[in-house]
Amino acid sequence: MALIEVENVDKIYKLGAVEVPALRDVTLHIEEGDFLAIMGPSGSGKSTLMNILGCLDRPTRGMFRLEGANVSRLGDTGRAQIRNRRIGFVFQNFNLLPRMSALRNVMLPTIYGPHHRDSRRAREILSDLGLADRVRHSPVELSGGEQQRVAIARALINDPPILLADEPTGNLDTATGNEIISILERLNRQGKTIIMVTHEDDVARHAQRVIRFRDGAIEWDSAAGGVASNEK
Amino acid sequence: MGILESIRAGLAELASHKLRSFLTVLGVICGVAAVIAMVSIGEGAKSEALEQIRLMGIDVVHVKRQVLASDLLEKAEERSPYGLKLGDADNLKSVCDFARRVVSVREVFADVRFGGKPVTAKVIGTVPGYLAVSRSDVERGRFISEGDVRERRAVCVIGAYVKRELFGFGNPIGKTIRLGRSIFRVVGVMRVKEVGAGRTFAPIRDLNADVYIPITRSLGEFQVKSEQAIALSNAAIDAMRQKLRARQSIGNSPISEIIMQVANAEDTVAASFVIRSVLNRSHRGIIDYEIVIPAELLKQSQETQHIFNTVMLAIAGISLLVGGVGIMNIMLATVTQRTREIGIRRCVGANRLDIIRQFLLEALVITCAGGLIGIAVGIAGARAISVYADWRTIVSANAIVISFSVSVAVGVIFGMYPALRAAAVDPIEALRYE
Repeated sequence: MALIEVENVDKIYKLGAVEVPALRDVTLHIEEGDFLAIMGPSGSGKSTLMNILGCLDRPTRGMFRLEGANVSRLGDTGRAQIRNRRIGFVFQNFNLLPRMSALRNVMLPTIYGPHHRDSRRAREILSDLGLADRVRHSPVELSGGEQQRVAIARALINDPPILLADEPTGNLDTATGNEIISILERLNRQGKTIIMVTHEDDVARHAQRVIRFRDGAIEWDSAAGGVASNEK
Repeated sequence: MGILESIRAGLAELASHKLRSFLTVLGVICGVAAVIAMVSIGEGAKSEALEQIRLMGIDVVHVKRQVLASDLLEKAEERSPYGLKLGDADNLKSVCDFARRVVSVREVFADVRFGGKPVTAKVIGTVPGYLAVSRSDVERGRFISEGDVRERRAVCVIGAYVKRELFGFGNPIGKTIRLGRSIFRVVGVMRVKEVGAGRTFAPIRDLNADVYIPITRSLGEFQVKSEQAIALSNAAIDAMRQKLRARQSIGNSPISEIIMQVANAEDTVAASFVIRSVLNRSHRGIIDYEIVIPAELLKQSQETQHIFNTVMLAIAGISLLVGGVGIMNIMLATVTQRTREIGIRRCVGANRLDIIRQFLLEALVITCAGGLIGIAVGIAGARAISVYADWRTIVSANAIVISFSVSVAVGVIFGMYPALRAAAVDPIEALRYE
């Protein structure tokens, strides 16, 4: 059983009377401990897939199983719980709350979770990422790379098995981007399953597996020996 | 998300927009402060009225002489002297078997002198029953006796204020004082009677400045002076004086007031009807008197209070409504402004209920803060009114509890819609929101 099983998923957006297909019959299995890079031009469906994998959106048709459980028909509270405990999010624009300190930002998921609300673990993770002296700083006082590391710390606070990173290096210069990628690689070695959207081949090179999207379907999958996995 | 966490977030949000928060809560502050100040004034007025009406007694009916308008005066002249007479009191006494006491009162202003400077006092000619109907008490000596009235003795009982002015701490009993032009012997001193502050609708005055003498003596001593008090022209007074001399008899003697105490306090209104019909017959339909029933005044004051309360409630309701709309407005703006924050919170595990709770609690924190400040302002306002306008105010716990609960309710009602809007935000859209 794979950690993530996406089976024959369609996602159709309705714009008035017009139906716009964003995903077409996508099937994708991701094993525990994978480091997967998703590539493709904008509008190819990779963001839609990330939203479904992140339980922010539900497929129109098809099945999405997470750790063996069908989550494609879960309600609002159930999906919020999965986002809180099983998935960590890292964004291109960091998405930190501007009026909170780095520490409070890292602690944010714990207020929606069941346990460990004390700040000890948050401090540990922050110093692990080299931010021990930035705990009290607010996001505007931090550099881009530091902000992204705070965001990664926030994604790790509830110890989820999966990290979803949507262009994590998109707003960073190359050197800082490389730092972030090496952090992700380290986390992957520690057992996290990482799914990362990126435009840059240099970044995708660090992944164990790369898939390419085009027009809402998987065009190319390195795990399938470079053959499009769902080509008919 | 815990309640405490939400409240803390709400307070932090308030603190980060101090001016905006203050302007938002201003409506609630005004509403709550208005409720408390107005209820305090109402309660104060009510207690004052109650006190004064109780002072008059609820088992009595006052019949007071009334000055007539000039066109009615001519008609009344034919039956001179017009107004209440000692005979009316005797008449009422014999007709009204439900009356416990009928007391005649004759009020005259005169200078009171004991050696030095004169003090102006109201000289009240009356009978022994006055002590009971006026709920006063003699502190030292005795009150006017039946014998004093029968024998027209030149004795007087002085009020506490008069005693203090004339005698200081000395003993006035047995001393003689001058009332107008006559000499009276002091036989008693009244106990100090507390009266409320000046503002009142009930005919109550400072009883401590009164001097009491037998009514028969008053009729002899102060005949003309009493008529001057009616403020007629000199010619009218002369004419009246002549008529008075012509028809001099005790029964026709003018008096200022008849006080009837009824046996049963519930009978005051019925008694007033009997009094009116008796007096109408003897006065040939000329209404030169008015009937005052303190128990009825009490009822009227309660009705006035009720109207006041209703109007006040409406005003408070409107200002709280305006305050609520202000809160809703700012909360809607806040929701839009913090769309990305909503997206982030949803992303890291907040469900819709968490978001509703967060924004609702924020609205509640705002209204509660407004409510608390409003309570403080209201109490301060009530105090200021007491000090500067000399009105009695009573800050009741009820007013505080009710106005605070209403402001909380306003927070819930007007915070709910923005909170629901916040929860309805699509997290995917929200994360993309710039």
